[in-house]
Amino acid sequence: MKIFDRLFEQQARQLAQRSSRRGLLKGLGGLLVGGAAVPLLPVSRVHAAEKPMDKGDPSSCDYWRYCAMDGFLCDCCGGSANTCPPGTEMSPITWIGTCRNPADGRSYIISYNDCCGKSSCGACLCQRDEGDRPPYRPDKTNDINWCLGTESAAYHCSTAIVVGVAFEET
Amino acid sequence: MGALAEKMNWERAQFHYRMFCQGCHSPDGGGATSVPPLKDNIGYFLEIPAGREYLVRVPGSATSALNDGNLAEVLNWIISEFSGDSAGENYERYTASEISRVRVHPLDEVEHYRTKLLAQIAAAKARN
Repeated sequence: MKIFDRLFEQQARQLAQRSSRRGLLKGLGGLLVGGAAVPLLPVSRVHAAEKPMDKGDPSSCDYWRYCAMDGFLCDCCGGSANTCPPGTEMSPITWIGTCRNPADGRSYIISYNDCCGKSSCGACLCQRDEGDRPPYRPDKTNDINWCLGTESAAYHCSTAIVVGVAFEET
Repeated sequence: MGALAEKMNWERAQFHYRMFCQGCHSPDGGGATSVPPLKDNIGYFLEIPAGREYLVRVPGSATSALNDGNLAEVLNWIISEFSGDSAGENYERYTASEISRVRVHPLDEVEHYRTKLLAQIAAAKARN
């Protein structure tokens, strides 16, 4: 990326000398270095109308949100289905699928953000893998390490955060 | 444009963003580390034809499980939701036929290509 930065900076300087669109160049430069310094995580992004009736035990693999789970449950590791244990960092890049909630019969979008930075929790291993695909579908394989964008790639446990209601064609 | 807007289903588009894009590009389009931000930036790519095609040719779009119509719809939703001031007001929405024609040429390499593209876009903006 340093090469790209130098190249773009060189081009940008040349262009800036011929124009006053410095604000545009600054904006375009941001596209080279990646996303926000503090990525937006999915916690608490669900509107009240989309919050599901939430029954069941989040420390059990049978919990409705864990239909696509493949890992250790953060609820057994000092965190919760929504939060990471202390000392770990939630990955901003994540596997997303849908699970049916038996309490209301609706399907919800679930974001399985991993918690990273410590060695594997080792408690409450859960592998239900609904919707999991082989690595030729990289966006839908849950067998790769999803600790991406974190300071450490060491996987500790997985959350299962509701981020919306699944759309159903009528 | 009015007829196209009537066919679009924003709720379905948002669902597809959450299912197929949000995992990397984040709930607000801000991205993370090496994942570029859609937020306040994606509209710039509409400035030149190669930039417009880029949004379809990136592997996340071109090889997505979404059909042509749904991919056009979610791209239009992303631009509407996240572009901020980068798109202007009168951009041309994507259509299924355009997606069909362009997505068959997915990019094998993205970062170098995007760097060159951004320079072309900046030059085009400076001329306008």
